[in-house]
Amino acid sequence: MSERVKTDMGGATAALDLDAALMLRVKEGDGASFGVLLDKHRSSVVHFLFRMVQNHAVAEELAQEVFLRVYRSRGTYEPTAKFTTWLFRIATHLALNSLRDGKNERSQERLDDDTHDMPVRQVADIRPSAEQSMVYQAKLKEIRRAISALPDKQRAAVLMHKYEEMEYSQIAGVLSCSESAVKSLLFRAYETLRARLAHLA
Amino acid sequence: MNCPLESRENAGQLLDYCTRKLDPDVAAVLERHIAICPACREFADHQRAVWQALDAWEAEPVSADFNRRLYQRIDQQVSWWERLMQPLRPLTLRWNAAAAAAGVVVVMAAGLLLNPPPAGPTVANIPDTPQVESVQPEQVEHALDAMDTLAEFSHHVKDSADAKM
Repeated sequence: MSERVKTDMGGATAALDLDAALMLRVKEGDGASFGVLLDKHRSSVVHFLFRMVQNHAVAEELAQEVFLRVYRSRGTYEPTAKFTTWLFRIATHLALNSLRDGKNERSQERLDDDTHDMPVRQVADIRPSAEQSMVYQAKLKEIRRAISALPDKQRAAVLMHKYEEMEYSQIAGVLSCSESAVKSLLFRAYETLRARLAHLA
Repeated sequence: MNCPLESRENAGQLLDYCTRKLDPDVAAVLERHIAICPACREFADHQRAVWQALDAWEAEPVSADFNRRLYQRIDQQVSWWERLMQPLRPLTLRWNAAAAAAGVVVVMAAGLLLNPPPAGPTVANIPDTPQVESVQPEQVEHALDAMDTLAEFSHHVKDSADAKM
């Protein structure tokens, strides 16, 4: 997110992040640049949406819609903000709508049926004992419940802060609020999470 | 330093410290405070525990066919538009022809307005036409005969008039 390039735009030199420069190329009809943006941000968008709606299939469907909207908006794209701010604004908007519409009700039910949507554990825990596996699943279930219980905006803020490592200013840009409002959202969210999850360490 | 937990704004510093986003100099000051403040120590321990717990939540890898499905949807949207326009195509073709004809008329009108045709030819600038060159001698003789006839007729009329007076 720190890569920046200088681009001359109508005589005025504007500093753009690399992604915005790529998106401007997409605007000019360069499909390959869209592919680069897709490959670069696909995982983070899907993972963010998965943690928001807690259903992998719904998350991928929403992520498809995110990139479809990016592609459809290419003609009117203006680099007024960081590309990732714009991208996550679309993703958050779709996730919040999905949560409001109850499209992920199935996923909420599936929190009880916790064998689905659990990541396959890798190298470090090949062949965990049955007990270890049960402990891990129980821990994961508790984390997911705690996150799921957060108000929507607090949840989005925590996920962007923790997993996407976004600055307060960028989260503020995504959620269309002030930096101090973001700090307040995060403080309250972590307060709730500390009360529910601190014993897990 | 004052205990950061005394105000929410300063408590944000503690949060940044736990997430390692705090400036190293400020972090060093805060660490000295945490060492002597049980409330801040508890806050920091619990926050780190939450951070570690959240680390355990790995996301599932993205489906291998994600891009293929996306590009398929993009193509479908284009096809959808084309399908929608299909029944209207003959109409649009006719409209296109009409528009092209209208365009030609407009261009011609604009051409006439911008470059009006020259005024009617004057005697001075009438070019020698090929018609003049192609007049045959017989035609000239006929014309001269006709002129003589007319001249005789005029004399005859004039003489008749004089006689009556």
